[in-house]
Amino acid sequence: MESPQIDSARIAQVSRGLGRAEIERREKVFTVTDLAVSYGGNPALEDVTLDVHRNTVTAFIGPSGCGKSTFIRCFNRMNDLIPGAKVEGTVLYHGADLYGRDVDPVDVRRRIGMVFQKPNPFPKSIYDNVAFGPRVLSLKGSLDERVEKALRDAALWDEVKDRMKDGALGLSGGQQQRLCIARALAVEPDVILMDEPASALDPISTTRIEDLMHELKRDYSIVIVTHNMQQAARVADMTAFFSVVVAEDGSARRGVLVEYDTTAKIFTTPSDKRTEDYVTGRFG
Amino acid sequence: MAQMRATFQEELRELEELLDAEAELVLRSLRAAVEALVTRDAELADEVIAFDDDIDDVYLRTHQAIELLLARQTPVAGDLRLVLAILHSNLHLERMGDLCTTIAKLTKLSADLPSDEVLLGAFREMGERGQEMIRIALEALHGRDEELATSLIHLDELIDRSNRRVVSRLLELGPENLEWGLRAIVASRCLERVGDHAVDIGEQAAFLATGEFREFTDASHDPRPLG
Repeated sequence: MESPQIDSARIAQVSRGLGRAEIERREKVFTVTDLAVSYGGNPALEDVTLDVHRNTVTAFIGPSGCGKSTFIRCFNRMNDLIPGAKVEGTVLYHGADLYGRDVDPVDVRRRIGMVFQKPNPFPKSIYDNVAFGPRVLSLKGSLDERVEKALRDAALWDEVKDRMKDGALGLSGGQQQRLCIARALAVEPDVILMDEPASALDPISTTRIEDLMHELKRDYSIVIVTHNMQQAARVADMTAFFSVVVAEDGSARRGVLVEYDTTAKIFTTPSDKRTEDYVTGRFG
Repeated sequence: MAQMRATFQEELRELEELLDAEAELVLRSLRAAVEALVTRDAELADEVIAFDDDIDDVYLRTHQAIELLLARQTPVAGDLRLVLAILHSNLHLERMGDLCTTIAKLTKLSADLPSDEVLLGAFREMGERGQEMIRIALEALHGRDEELATSLIHLDELIDRSNRRVVSRLLELGPENLEWGLRAIVASRCLERVGDHAVDIGEQAAFLATGEFREFTDASHDPRPLG
């Protein structure tokens, strides 16, 4: 009997999600090796080794205190701003040491944008919020066009195009967060880091942000920290699970990377029992 | 760390209990169906046919419980596999109930026809094997026991062998017993299918235990992992 024409690769992707081999074929944006972070001598995160790939959404999940926010801040040197913070190990960005002596943290943050838990627009007009970065960096080209593109990419343009001079603080929480994403996009970054980007938003605004991540990963690489496991399951291609190790005398807690794999694997057949206990919500 | 999601864990336990309740009903139906077949008891056959409504009722309740749990709890990993395994096993048990009903209907149609003691003995044996396989399948599921689940393959071969023996014996008996023989072949096939459904539940038990689904037996290929 003649077999019907079927696209077996397509069937595999639909049934199991984006495969690990497919993701690992993509260019490495970050290569993290033996990373450890401490604050004032107290270890916060230890022994992290993983790669982040281009045009993927990579999620970090884990209980409070597991170091996932500490970790994401290593990608744009935000920990430099915290007195007493020390980062050891290596973080390569497109093969170059992100913590090299000649690397300017401001330049890093232009290429690696960040969106925070609470929307934090400037108390300026919608237009000026998005135009701020390109103006400071004196980016070439039409500013109006740049602002419009960033707002379109952030799926906010249609809602604000007729009131660009209005204050940004008059927008809803969900709109303010998308404005912050537009502000990050306006300087043409390579990577967008999102630290709990939807945790202060209502469910509909959350869905908008999640849809947006699916759109944005075509052009950018996205790293997201989320407390919401189902959000990671919905948006991420790769998921890293971090956990907390408590010293025997209970004095110190530090974060460790337990498992890093495709989101499909983490949420169906995780390799480590600690991951299974966490994603099933059995222990927390 | 504290045990979490106690209600959800309780709901998962209740789903397994529902499946047990359904299996108990199927076992009772199978025992009665075979007893009616070999003793030509049309009255008992009627009871088996009526009893199928009870099995369907538990099947439906189990299905509704799964639907509600998926909608509300979003299970993942091992919990998700358990729910999927119960979803499949629920259907297999319901089908076994239907097969018992078919045997009961055949019994009613053949109650007045001449039969054969050798074949009646084979039916009794197949019925007992079927019951054993159902018990083992459920035990493997509850115990997340791949080895026990795999043992069903051997038991299924024995039931298949009995089925083939029934066919050979009928051919030996010749055309005098044709009407009864045709019905006997269908009844035998129903008992053989009960074994197949038990193996299918065993596959679900192995999937639950290992996270990898594979068909224990495949008519066209050697056993191998799927996907």
